[in-house]
Parts: sequence; structure tokens; C-alpha cells
Amino acid sequence: MAENPAARTVRASESSIMGLPLVYHWRSLFARRSTTLLTVLVVAAVTAVLAWMLSFAAALRSSLAVAADGRKIIVLKRGATAESNSAIRAEDMNLLTQVEGLDIDPETGRALISPEMLVQVQLPRLADGGRTAANVAVRGVTGTAFSVHRNVQLDGRCFAAGSREVIVGRTAARQFAGLRVGDTINLGYGSDRGYTVVGTFSAGGGPMESEIWGYLPSLMNAYNRTLYSSAALRIAPDADSRAVIERIEGPAVQLNASTEADYWREQAMLVRVYLAVAGVLVGLMAVAAVLSVANTMYASVAGRTREIAMLRTIGFGPGRILAGFVLEAAILALIGGVLGCAACAAWLRLVGNTKDMFGATTFTSMAFQIVLDPRTAAEALACVVLVGAAGAVFPARRAARLPAISGLREV
Amino acid sequence: MSGTDIVLQDVRKVYYKDRLEIPVLEGLDLRVDAGDFVALMGPSGSGKSTLLHLIGGLDRPTSGQVRVGQAELHRMSERQLTAWRSRHVGFIFQMYHLVPVLTAAQNVELPLLLFRMPARQRRQRVQVALDVVGLGDRMDHRPNQLSGGQEQRVAIARAIVTDPDVILADEPTGDLDAATSSEILDLLRLLNSEFGKTIVMVTHDPRAAARSRRTLHLDKGVLDREELHAATPTGAGA
Repeated sequence: MAENPAARTVRASESSIMGLPLVYHWRSLFARRSTTLLTVLVVAAVTAVLAWMLSFAAALRSSLAVAADGRKIIVLKRGATAESNSAIRAEDMNLLTQVEGLDIDPETGRALISPEMLVQVQLPRLADGGRTAANVAVRGVTGTAFSVHRNVQLDGRCFAAGSREVIVGRTAARQFAGLRVGDTINLGYGSDRGYTVVGTFSAGGGPMESEIWGYLPSLMNAYNRTLYSSAALRIAPDADSRAVIERIEGPAVQLNASTEADYWREQAMLVRVYLAVAGVLVGLMAVAAVLSVANTMYASVAGRTREIAMLRTIGFGPGRILAGFVLEAAILALIGGVLGCAACAAWLRLVGNTKDMFGATTFTSMAFQIVLDPRTAAEALACVVLVGAAGAVFPARRAARLPAISGLREV
Repeated sequence: MSGTDIVLQDVRKVYYKDRLEIPVLEGLDLRVDAGDFVALMGPSGSGKSTLLHLIGGLDRPTSGQVRVGQAELHRMSERQLTAWRSRHVGFIFQMYHLVPVLTAAQNVELPLLLFRMPARQRRQRVQVALDVVGLGDRMDHRPNQLSGGQEQRVAIARAIVTDPDVILADEPTGDLDAATSSEILDLLRLLNSEFGKTIVMVTHDPRAAARSRRTLHLDKGVLDREELHAATPTGAGA
């Protein structure tokens, strides 16, 4: 008997390790082009919204993380929930100077306390060509503010003491009209005083970048204010922030105090609600995507009964068949996912990636720089691949359970 | 029992439909020696395909014993049968059952994907198998670019690429014209005579059956009679 050229080397001891080739799944997907493309579009839509939402949440997290200076305390009037509804008298501000545990300015020898006043002005948004406007926070500060808010970095000149000059946060400058250096904006009670923009500043991407800063006495005068809105304090390196807060809230001072991180977390509550609602919507869309993938895969299984039966006959076990169909759906979802991420990135590029949201109690714009970074894109893709796999489970189980014999007889 | 003899003892197979018992094989005894080429004939419902499925480990008998070589198929689990099939049996179907989205080479390669084997070795085997069936120059053709006869040749290459002991063919010429059928039967004879493959072929066509070494006639689930054939020269026509 002649030797078989197809070499007799396959032994019973050889274990089976591989599944069906990727090219098989890839081409099978596009054998039913219209159904596949429709599902890809559904998955792409879900991914685009999901990627946007994840990017938004990441931007919010990062913005609040920047603001989370553990050595800084925000002081408001007792009962106030935000700077906009807080009013601190000058004598109370003086009481703060006697609180133990505050950092000292080495130049002046005084406690690092930044008295501040916050008002809001309406400015036209650049994103829609000025058709809509949003409230922008205008903060009156003194030179101490730059020692207390240490992440604030000037780009250009600072406002001069006693002048009608302001500096503008980088994000606010990008988002609102009339805030370029050299522009004049009308501030003050009745918006009757022109303030010139003389510089911009960054705050490490934190919420203060959405603000306009000016000289405190000048702005208090312009708005006929005698009360401060808040005070920002810097704690001494060896002091315990909780102890300092307790002293401020205690009978001697009787003001509200919280760390900056807690303050902004509270302010971002509305954004969190917004994200939660968006999350529910994305969840519903994901269910639709699961159903769409399932529908596509059911159709695919139904059209490939004989093919699956043949594979079962030649030795592909139910596990391999199941894994193959789940993999096929995952590839389908991944294609949709990549398209969705691309759509999200394009949207952010074309429409603008600065999103402003209202603070929970201030109704002042808090802007975030939304960027679809590789990590967020990977998270979105992982989610939709899971969606694809979930959609494939039942059709794949049906395929894996197809009896080989009846499948082969099907014509 | 030696080599990969096929032995069935007192095999009974009953199907159930709506609680109705449908006996297909009734105490069937059969022996096919290693290296034999047997045709199974009989009217529809006589149990030919069921017998083929039992020998191929696609189905299990209701009672009785099915042995192929050392394997006692009637005792094996579904999982064990699946693994056994991949190593010991090559299947050829009437409708070829090629995967339409894969090339001829990729179709032939499918059974090899179940084995731990370097890609280069897989490619060599695929090339050899396609050379054996005369389609070495059609490696990259998809099934829709091949004729029916060529598709069946690819299916035969897929059946032999793992070098199985037994080849089971279910109406391998049922969908082909006379001339192409003859070529396919020549190929099966070659696999039997030159490469020593044990072949069991179900057919309705007496001319196809005549190309085997012997024909077993089934009727109502039992072996009715056996017919021995003189050696028919290759290319004698179907």
C-alpha cells in the first residue's frame, strides 16, 4: 500500500486548540451585507453616545480632581450652599484671621485668606454664534488669591489694583464671545462700566478656568456690594483641615466651611444627575443594540445551518461553534464601536469639545474640555464588544446545539 | 479485529416521532474489513444513511455495538465522538457542504485547525490533499468559482487532509452528471486502492455501487444481500 502523501502524523494524542479562522467569521459577517451594516450602524450610534458620555464624565472627574486642593478651604455664610447665595460681612472676615491653623504669607506675615465676591454676567456662547447666552462667574479677588489658589497661572498681565481691568480663564475665553485680550466687557450694576481684558489665566483645567477675575474693591464698588461672597483659605502644612473647619463652623466664627474638593463635588451635582440620565439612555440604547446583534446573529445561524452541521460533523465541538459565533458578534460590535468612536471624535472636533454645564446651585457655567482619549475609547469599545457578545449568546447557543445529522439533511 | 475494521453487532436504531416508534435498523450485523470499499444500497428509508451515521459516530445505536478499530462508539460520549470523528473519519456529502466564503484551500484546511500543527505544515498538507484530487492549481478559488465536480473534489480533499482511517461518503455523486460522477468514483477508488482507505459509500446509483468492491443491499433495516464486484478499471465510466 502506498504511503498517503497527506502524511500520517495526526495522532490521537494531539489536542485540538484552534477555533475557526478569523477570515471565516469576517467574510461570513459580510455575506449578509445589509443586515450586518444596519447592526453596525446601531452599534456605532450607541458607541458614539457612550464614548461622548464617558469622555464627559472623565472631563468632569479630571476638572474636579484639579479643583480638589486638600489644603484649601472655601468659607461661606452659614446656611449658604454656594458662593452666589452667600454673604460674609467684613467683621466675619476679620474673625477668620484669628482662626488657628492657617498658612501664613511669608511676605506680609498675614494669614492666607482670600476674600472674594462672585457675581454672574450673561455672555453669548461662541459655539452657536452667539444665539444663546450663559451665565459666567465674575470673581473679585485681591493679590492674595494667587497665593491661595496655587494652580492659577497667569498668561500675560494681571489686572492692576484699582483699575477697570479683568483677566479671563482659558476655558471661558474659548467658550464666550468678547473675552479676547483687548476686548471690553460691560460689568457692574446696570452693566454700565467697561472692563478691559488684559490677560488670561489657567487653573490646571479646573472650574476656575470658566471664570473672569477682576480687582475685588473695584468690582464690589461696581456692583454696590458691601458683603463678600466667600473666602478661600490656605491651611498651614502641619494643620489638620478638619480641625480648621470645625473652628470656622464653631461658635467663635459661625461660618460654613468645606474643603475645595467637597465644595466642587456639591456644585457638580447637577452634572452628575445629567450623567445619570444619559447613562440610563445609553443603557436603553445598548439593549436595542443587543437585540439588533441578536437578530443579525439569529439570521446568520438560520442561513448557515448546513455549514454549522458540516463543522460539527468534521469535529468542531459545540464549544468551538458557540465561541465562533460569539467572536463573530464581537467583531461586528467592534466594527460598529470603532465607527462610533470615530464619529464621537469627529463630533467633538467639528462642533467643539468645550461643554458648559450649570452648577447645581450657582447656575453659573462650569465648562469642561471634553477629549476622547485612547483610554476612554478603549472603555467604550470594551463595553460594546460585551454588548455584541451578549447579543450573540442565544443565537450562538442555538448554533452550538444544532444536531449535525438533521442539519446536513437540510437543503 | 485488526486495524480499523468496522464491526456492527446486533445494532438496533429506533427514532421517535410524536411518541411513535419508528424502527430504522433491526438487529443489524455488519463487518467491513480495513481497506475495503463498500457500497450501501437500498430503497429510501431502508436505513443506509442511519448506518453511515452510526459508523461515523454522528449517532448512537438504540442497542447493539458499533466498533471502528479500537473505538467502541456505542460507549462514547458526544464529546468523545466529536474528537474521535476529527481524527479517524473523513466525510463526503452529496451537497459538498463547502463554506462559501472560504477558498478551496481554506475549506480543506478546516479539519486541520482542530490539531496542534504549525501553519506551514498545515499549508503543506492542504497543498498535497488538493494535488491528490487534481485541484492543486485552484487553491484560491471560492466554491462559486468551481464546477460541481470540482467542489466535490475539494470536499474529498477536506475529507482526506487529516489522513483518516475511514472515509464515509453519502451519495457523493448524487448531484453530478455521469462523466463527473465517474471522475469522483475514480478518485474514491484511488484513495482505496493506492492509499488503503476504508470507504463506505451510500448510493442509489447501481453504476456507482459497481465501482466498489462489494455492495450491501439494505431493506427495512436489515442486510438483504451482498454483491461482490470484479475489479473495475479506473475510468470505466459510471
